[in-house]
Amino acid sequence: MLEAKDLSKSFGGLKALQQVTLRAESGHSVGIIGPNGAGKTTLFNLLTGEIKPDSGHVSLDGVSIDTEPIHERVKLGLARTYQVPRPFAEISVRENIRVSMMEDNLKYMLRVAWDDTGEKAIAESVGFTAQQLDQLPSELAMGDLRKLELARTLATNPKVLLLDEVFAGLTYGEIEHISNLLVERRKTHGTTYLIVSHDLKALQPLVDDVLVIHGGNVIKKGTFDEVVSDPQVQNAYLGTG
Amino acid sequence: MNSNLRRGIYGWIAFAAIMVILPHVVGTGVTRSFVFAMYLAIFAVSWDIMSGRTGYISFGHPFLIGIGGYTTALLTYHLHWPLFLSIPTAVVMTMIGGTLFFFPALRIRGTYFALVTLAFMELIYGLVQVIAPKVTGGTRGLSGLETIVTGAIPNYYLALVVLLILGFTMWLVIRTHIGTALSAVGMDEDAVRASGINVTRLKLFAFMLSAFAAGLGGALYVHYLGSIAPRALFDVGFLFQILVACLLGGAGTISGPIAGAFFLTFLLEWLRPYFPGPERFLIYGAVALILYVYQPNGLHELVRNGLKRLNQLKLSRDTS
Repeated sequence: MLEAKDLSKSFGGLKALQQVTLRAESGHSVGIIGPNGAGKTTLFNLLTGEIKPDSGHVSLDGVSIDTEPIHERVKLGLARTYQVPRPFAEISVRENIRVSMMEDNLKYMLRVAWDDTGEKAIAESVGFTAQQLDQLPSELAMGDLRKLELARTLATNPKVLLLDEVFAGLTYGEIEHISNLLVERRKTHGTTYLIVSHDLKALQPLVDDVLVIHGGNVIKKGTFDEVVSDPQVQNAYLGTG
Repeated sequence: MNSNLRRGIYGWIAFAAIMVILPHVVGTGVTRSFVFAMYLAIFAVSWDIMSGRTGYISFGHPFLIGIGGYTTALLTYHLHWPLFLSIPTAVVMTMIGGTLFFFPALRIRGTYFALVTLAFMELIYGLVQVIAPKVTGGTRGLSGLETIVTGAIPNYYLALVVLLILGFTMWLVIRTHIGTALSAVGMDEDAVRASGINVTRLKLFAFMLSAFAAGLGGALYVHYLGSIAPRALFDVGFLFQILVACLLGGAGTISGPIAGAFFLTFLLEWLRPYFPGPERFLIYGAVALILYVYQPNGLHELVRNGLKRLNQLKLSRDTS
């Protein structure tokens, strides 16, 4: 269970987030939508610890993680994908996944990688072919970069997964593949999701609840259908004219 | 993947075998050049483990090497410590000095880190001359230091053993998960953090390995020369030799910088009879530049591509 209470963050005079509270029960999936610049990515950055909130608290399974650095939060099971994929450009897909799979201790890290069954399994699960394991990220298309981003996140074995625009730039077939993977994983691992997406059609079957952020505030909370039919939400997206 | 490791180990065995025989084949002069090349290779390996992969480019390696050198020089010269105590102390002192390098690396990287480390080198150059010149020997340094062994050939084998042990160990280290993680740090440090890895500890480990090699190399080098002087150590020319050896050889590969150190030393030696003056450095600069532009990944990559092509030739011959 991931909980955020009254998270606020300003950048200079810009109030990026104001008193945002959210709660994602274990095994639940929460969609986060809102127009560009609403504060969705800022929210993710606050949850993962990449930026510090001006006020507010984050807890994982009831335990405060406010003072935990990024890598400790990841080890506790809170992982994210980046909206703009950030692969390690000059090492292979296999090694990219390997970095996420490593245990964080020097004794473990001083071992030679003798086999790559773990990397292969994760790569295959997101839809990579065996040949692609040796490719460099610079040789991959956008769709494959998104898959790599997801594979690297899954390799940390997360309990709570923050997905930032994982469907952008993917074909319908790829969206379906990734969706199925997420649904499947939720069944088998009980993974909790926070999903930011502009693609509402892809989002709909994946989420239990949706949170709408606009101008740094949560303006609506509810099921997918409730939220998209709400006039205030429609105004936020389309403008009041 | 495993065959790469095996091939690499064969390479090390071949290198060791050739180096063991070499002083019996070549003359004393060439042997002495090899001793210098091997110390340069040790310093290059030290630089490579810190900077080759991580993107924390050290412009201050002479600072670390100098701490090792001066520690053992002062302890043996003034306090008459035996070498078996002064050299380990020098290594420990260098590792403490390495933590000084580490603090700026918590906040800055790239060019800024390079400049801060360069400042460390200049700082100690000034300090050695100004503070207690009676103790440090000031600008003139200290001479008549104890030597570990005498003669070209014993010194050759001493340097060889140290180079083989240090070089092979570091080479193995970068072939473990650590090597992959260090490469990743060089590409996107924040993304490594987001992969659940304590980057600070990882960097500290690399810095300490580097300082260990620099301290040991520096201490032994000083006892090989029998003298120490600030201008010879804390010098941009000396720094550039280390950097050029690494870049020419192929940074981040360990074996590349060793090859680079040999190439560089012998390039300068071969040019000496034709160009006794400083114009030799002009040619060396030009050769380095051309090679670097032709293959930015260095000699290591040239050799690897050559082997690959040879393999393909063999394959096509076998199949036809």
